[in-house]
Amino acid sequence: MPIVQPGKRIAKRFAASKVFAGKMHHGRRSTNLELNVIPMVDMMTMLVIFLLQQFSATGEVLYMQKDIKLPDARHGQVIEIAPVVAISGAQVVVSGQKVAEVAELERDPSQIIAPLVEKLRDEKKRWDYIHQNDADREKNWKGEVNVQADVKVPFRVLRRVMASAAEAGYGSVNFAATEEGGTASAPAPARKKP
Amino acid sequence: MGGTSLPEGGRKKRRSLDATVNVVPAIDLLSCCISFLLFTAVWTQISRLQTTPMGNGSAVEVMPAKSITVTLTIGEKGFVLATSTGAQIEIPALARAADGAPRYDLAALGERLKKLKAEFPDQAAVTVAADDAVLYADLVHAIDACVGAGLGNVSVMGAG
Repeated sequence: MPIVQPGKRIAKRFAASKVFAGKMHHGRRSTNLELNVIPMVDMMTMLVIFLLQQFSATGEVLYMQKDIKLPDARHGQVIEIAPVVAISGAQVVVSGQKVAEVAELERDPSQIIAPLVEKLRDEKKRWDYIHQNDADREKNWKGEVNVQADVKVPFRVLRRVMASAAEAGYGSVNFAATEEGGTASAPAPARKKP
Repeated sequence: MGGTSLPEGGRKKRRSLDATVNVVPAIDLLSCCISFLLFTAVWTQISRLQTTPMGNGSAVEVMPAKSITVTLTIGEKGFVLATSTGAQIEIPALARAADGAPRYDLAALGERLKKLKAEFPDQAAVTVAADDAVLYADLVHAIDACVGAGLGNVSVMGAG
C-alpha cells in the first residue's frame, strides 16, 4: 500500500498505451511519487505493543538513584504507593528530603531518628487530610512504608529506620528489591485481622 | 499525503474500484501512542518484600493451631533456623567476600525452609533476626528465601 498522490490515474489496462499513459510527453518526469509506509506502520505497531507491555498503571513509585544499588529478589510483590525512605551509604532521604546522615546515625546511640519520625508523621497527616471524607478511612490505612536501601547498608541503620517508622505509625515495612527473573505479581499474603 | 490505493479496473460505465485508504490518521495515532507510552514507561521492575517490624505495637495475629514459632537468625557465621519444637539447624556461611562480608548459603536455607513448610503446611509466619552488621542485600535475600518457601508472613527484628 504505497502513498500515491491523489488525483486522476490511468487504469492498468492503459498502462502500456503510449497515448493514454502519457508516454508521449518525453522528458517530463512524473510527479506521482510512491512512498511505501507499510514498514513504518509495522514498526510503529511493534513499538506500541512493546511499550504497552512495559506500561505500568501505578507509574514509577521508586526512582533509581545513582548511590543506591538494590539487591535482587525473586518472590517480591508489586510495589505500591507509600512514603519512600531511601537509604544510601551517606544519608537517609524521605520523599526527596534529607532527614539524617548515616555517619551521624552511627555515632548517635538513640534508636529513633527524630527527623524521620517527624517527616513520616507529616506524610500520615497528609494522607489523613486527603482521605478525611472517606467512610472507611481507618480500614484503608495500611501503614506501609517503602524502604529503598543500598545493598551495603547495615542492619543497624535499617533497624533504626524501622523503629522510627513504627513510632510514626507505620507498622508495615516493604523492602524494595530489583525483580529477578519472574514477574513481580505475586499476590500479597493474606493478613488476618485481630 | 499517505494513502493506499486498490487497483483500478473495469469498463467505462462501471463504478470505479479505485479507492484510497488514508493511513495518515493511523500513523498519527500510533505516533501519539508511542510518545505517551515512552513518557510513562517503567524500565526498572522493582518489587517489594513485605515485613512487619517486631514490637511495633500492632495487634498480635491469631496463629493457626498447627503452627509453630520459626526464627531465622542471620549472623556472622551463617544462618540459624530455630523452631519452637526445639529444632535448631545451623547453615554456615560459605566463605567471605573480598570486602570481608560473609557469603550465605541461600540454596541450603531454601531447602531447609521448604522441608519445614512441607512438615507444617499451615505455617506462614517466620521471624528474621539479623545482627547489626548484616547487610541489606543479605537480609533481603533471606526474606526472599522465606517468601519463596511459602513463609510469607515475615517479621524482622534485631538479633542482639
